[in-house]
Amino acid sequence: MSTVSFLLLVLGGGVAGTMGAMLGLGGGVFLIPFLALVFGLPMHQAIATSILAVIATSSAGAAMNVERQTVNLRLGMVLEIATVIGAIFGGVTANILSGEVLSRIFAALLLFVSFMMIWRTRSDIDAAAPVINGSFSSSYRDEATDTVVTYSVKRVPVVLVISFIAGNISGLLGVGGGIFKVPAMHMVAGMPMKAATATSNFMIGVTAAASAFIYFAHGHLNPMIVSPAVLGVLGGSFLGVSVNRRIKGSFLPWIFAVVLVLVSIWMFWRTL
Amino acid sequence: MNTDGLTTGKDSGAHHLVERWVGRTLRFGVWTSAGLMVAGLLLAWLSAGSLRLPSENPPPGEVFRSLLAGSLDPVTLMFAGLLLLMLTPFLRVLTAAAGFAAEKDRRFVVVALVVFAMLLGELVFSLR
Repeated sequence: MSTVSFLLLVLGGGVAGTMGAMLGLGGGVFLIPFLALVFGLPMHQAIATSILAVIATSSAGAAMNVERQTVNLRLGMVLEIATVIGAIFGGVTANILSGEVLSRIFAALLLFVSFMMIWRTRSDIDAAAPVINGSFSSSYRDEATDTVVTYSVKRVPVVLVISFIAGNISGLLGVGGGIFKVPAMHMVAGMPMKAATATSNFMIGVTAAASAFIYFAHGHLNPMIVSPAVLGVLGGSFLGVSVNRRIKGSFLPWIFAVVLVLVSIWMFWRTL
Repeated sequence: MNTDGLTTGKDSGAHHLVERWVGRTLRFGVWTSAGLMVAGLLLAWLSAGSLRLPSENPPPGEVFRSLLAGSLDPVTLMFAGLLLLMLTPFLRVLTAAAGFAAEKDRRFVVVALVVFAMLLGELVFSLR
């Protein structure tokens, strides 16, 4: 591999990780189009590379969130049963489908993600009423307001079903699946947004690991590509979190939503 | 699944134990694997031109045996980094099971072991 290719992978991974962290998404939504469209990698290899990047960013973020108590560890582990089953099915299915079919499904996912990003800016989703007598009660200190937030959750079986779908999409397309889980945990189960985001991110590493060996066994993991891309995404995600603290504004999701729609069209166009 | 009445721990002190263990495991896995990948890439860069990738991904056991034997082959180091990263969630689930066991929270020991068994099943099924 040439030095230019190596630098392109680190840089592309870095940009994908930064953009993902700025929007509260994993890097996969941006990394896969970069690898498939810009770097010209076959779709299965792009997905496999993204799965490794997703494990790295999820694990690095979860290490901090778990110690800060924002992760609801027990709820996360119960929901992981559903995400892991979904991811195994997704990983097996992906290795049966052709790269073109996967590209089309991924293009559809990008449209859905851009819609969700805009919807999140326009809906008053932070106003979900706290659940008093639910299950999996927990508490954490909210550093922004310096208060202890105590909560419990409801409708866990519904969130289990949504977690299965999120796991399935993770295994099939190499993304984290937080775009499905976070709204479900917040709006259906009534978790505070911060705990929902941290718990979803915590689950993503295990979910991605559930399909990683399927891709490994099919020979889709090239260490010369995965290593620089993963290191780039990991570095980029730290940069994204730091940038996110300084830049506030509702224009960001709009810009990225437009970018994702254009990438989706490009991805679909390529398969015709 | 009836989850009513479940709480997330016996007391706040016990909470800290399992969460500390899990946090440390994740940190160890990510940064050790990142270190192996960086070392592999640096050696690959130094040995530019002589690097040969295997035609198939090697069995994980072979990669770790080579590493333990002191191999400084760039591809082995990178594969070891990738495999450790893929195994970090496995370690995290086992650590959580041990933490729940230390808290005498048997119900969640079972939950963690169910997740671990599924991951292990996927690994064995994929590599057989």
